[in-house]
Amino acid sequence: MNSIIIKNLTKKFGQITAINNLSLNIEEGKITGLIGADASGKTTLIRLIIGLLKPDNGEISILNLNPGKQKSEITKRIGYMPQKFGLYEDLTVIENLKLYADLKKQPYQFEKMLEFTKLSDFQDRLAGALSGGMKQKLGLACTLLGNPEVLLLDEPSVGVDPVSRIDLMKMVRELITPQTTVLWSTAYLDEAHSFDKAVILDKGEVIFNGKPTDLADTTKNFENKVIELMGGYKKEISKIAENYPTVEQNIEYSVEADNLEKKYGDFYAVKNNTFCIKKGEIFGLLGPNGAGKSTSFKMMCGLIKPTSGSAKIMGIDIKENPVKARSNLGYMAQKFSLYGSLTVEQNLRFFASVYGIGILNRKERINEILDIFDLREIANQKSESLPLGYKQRLSMACALIHNPPVLFLDEPTSGVDIIARHKFWNHITALAKKGVTILVTTHFMDEAEFCDRISLFYKGKTITIGTPKELKEKANAKTMQEAFIKLVQEGDK
Amino acid sequence: MKILLALIKKEFKQIIRDPSSIIIAFVLPFISIMIYMYGINLDSVKVNIGIKNDDANPEVTTLVESFGKNKYINSIPYDNEKDITQAITRSKIKGAVIIPNDFSKKLSKGESSEILVITDGSEVNTANYIQNYASSITNDWLMTSKYKYLVTPPIINTELRAWYNQDLNSHYFILPGSIAITMTLIGILLTALVVAREWERGTMESLLSTQVRRIDIVLGKYIPYFCLGLTSMIFNVSMCIGVFKIPFRGNYFVFFLVSSLFLFTLLGIGLLISSKLKNQFLASQVSLGIGFLPALLLSGLIFPISSMPLFFQYLTGILPPKYFIIFVESEYMAGTIFEIVVINSIFLTILGTILFILVYKSTNMRLEK
Repeated sequence: MNSIIIKNLTKKFGQITAINNLSLNIEEGKITGLIGADASGKTTLIRLIIGLLKPDNGEISILNLNPGKQKSEITKRIGYMPQKFGLYEDLTVIENLKLYADLKKQPYQFEKMLEFTKLSDFQDRLAGALSGGMKQKLGLACTLLGNPEVLLLDEPSVGVDPVSRIDLMKMVRELITPQTTVLWSTAYLDEAHSFDKAVILDKGEVIFNGKPTDLADTTKNFENKVIELMGGYKKEISKIAENYPTVEQNIEYSVEADNLEKKYGDFYAVKNNTFCIKKGEIFGLLGPNGAGKSTSFKMMCGLIKPTSGSAKIMGIDIKENPVKARSNLGYMAQKFSLYGSLTVEQNLRFFASVYGIGILNRKERINEILDIFDLREIANQKSESLPLGYKQRLSMACALIHNPPVLFLDEPTSGVDIIARHKFWNHITALAKKGVTILVTTHFMDEAEFCDRISLFYKGKTITIGTPKELKEKANAKTMQEAFIKLVQEGDK
Repeated sequence: MKILLALIKKEFKQIIRDPSSIIIAFVLPFISIMIYMYGINLDSVKVNIGIKNDDANPEVTTLVESFGKNKYINSIPYDNEKDITQAITRSKIKGAVIIPNDFSKKLSKGESSEILVITDGSEVNTANYIQNYASSITNDWLMTSKYKYLVTPPIINTELRAWYNQDLNSHYFILPGSIAITMTLIGILLTALVVAREWERGTMESLLSTQVRRIDIVLGKYIPYFCLGLTSMIFNVSMCIGVFKIPFRGNYFVFFLVSSLFLFTLLGIGLLISSKLKNQFLASQVSLGIGFLPALLLSGLIFPISSMPLFFQYLTGILPPKYFIIFVESEYMAGTIFEIVVINSIFLTILGTILFILVYKSTNMRLEK
């Protein structure tokens, strides 16, 4: 039995073909993973299935209904969680649940949901004040209300820490009935590997449809196979690092945090955070959502004033001399924070000028950057219309335009596909070899393996610092993922 | 029905928790009324004029004196014309009266005599005012001076009466009119942001995948903001009547009935902007452009519609504040006049209904048309 039947589906946005003559059946009662590179058409496909978009060509049938004509019938029987789930941030947890229960004509029975989401104690907290992981759990809870027959989840685990990801998975697996069909789009291949079925999309076409275990037995092999199917990734010498000047410095630590603390009222967002990073070291700041990573990060950049303690970049105190300290720093923010309405080249020109590159050298430097970062062919495109992978490369180009000796990366690969992530880390490790000091946060545990040292952060405090190997030994775990979960759970005790 | 109630409840909670709509509904009109009350004044204020008397005749000095005896005019004596020129250039005085040395001599001979009245033509209203003032003062003086035998007393006496506003106090019509302008801004701004906000924050996509119907979304926005808008209206009106003692001669029930219709059209404009643009920043810009400015300039409150070019006269026909201002002014100053109420209500109802249909049509149930 198939819950969703798609025949020869095509969808275009102007010149761009998002879905190209795609045919696909989704089996009833199975969890199907939807995998694909950025802009491969995952979101468009899901939106077409539930009738939020109309196809240009082809047929879709979901639960034997036509989404083009019977959208209101369909919405009664499905649950859909968009990438940006629509929680009302100025309503509390319980108010959001009640609202969505009303909108789906369901009774107010939330005990089980609250228990699974571990949100019972936070019922009266505003949804806007929840951590990223909690928001996603609440969003999923709202989606699951009314026992939908088909569940469509669009990357629910983006930007979510490993512990919360396991919670999300558990919620879906335990709260659905055996007949429920799930279509789950994800960038995490370990998740996809654990599903009943996997569908891989590339340029709007299905390039694989079958059991993930047929493709490979282990997660690692599965990942390699997927990369292969998606066009493959060959490790190349990083042009970015090759053209980067070697960092010369005579101080021991490029980045120092000494007893950094941030207090909001009675609440410690960050408590005595201390670490030192050597030249050319990649230092990872890991921890669950809401642990205080971003706050620490912002204090290190001088964007938030610490309640006490100090931070130094290249020996310069960020509190005393923020402008000079920051001139040694390149910063890539969590969200795409460039000017969307400017073209790639205009963005580069702007950042070149704010980072103090003289007007005479600017043109030359931008030309150089366009070549090194492979941005030449899209130089005149508006940056908001770029695929995520390009946006990320442009963000990195802007952060590195003034050749800083220190680079801060706040979840730089969130929502980016696996090949783009590999390319990105190839550049980062090569830059570190040139002597660039790197501070990075991430929720991908395979990326954590690239770090020289890791500080595991939980509830505002450092619970342990060490090399990835040391952390795994300490937790007696095989993978970083396992180590992370064990160490955080120990931190709870 | 349950869905609609849930949406309305949600909207009210958002209104209470988000200070921006409270600021728009209550702080904005407060500031605006203060400006209209204390900042804008169309009445003649005290004007300085210069006066130079070259005639030594003691009878003429009484003329000079009578120029100073007025609560709207303050006359300053000058000795030479150069000083007067300078004072006008520096805007110290807005005009000057010069009495020539042969003024009384000519009068005694029974000849026609002249005085010179100079005014600053760059401020037309004040210039007119000084001219009229100067001629009326000289005429009055002539009737009481020893030269009164020279003129025949006028046969017709004009008896002046201003109905509805005896003192010609401009606040009596500006303040009620300002309610219309302020409410235009508030009504549009309140709703212009709310649909765009749902699109920007991604809540719309989630709403669209629940059992919400189009009419739920539309009414779920109209009803809460209608209540907020009406509360704001009551706040405005009580400020005008209670605090600034602007006389109200109409009927409160009729007043709020027509106000409701007016509000209905405004919310429609706001929601239309919002659901078309789906972007809060753009929506607020457009609201000012198509809501506030035409209301201020083309509604007839400050600049009379009858003196506009024909094209603009027709254009004002689609502006809701035009109809409301006529109604508000009559309601405050003249009392409830049946024809005015009915005609303007009909126009507002037509506009409001058209807008409601447009809003309904442009509320997408999909992410694309």
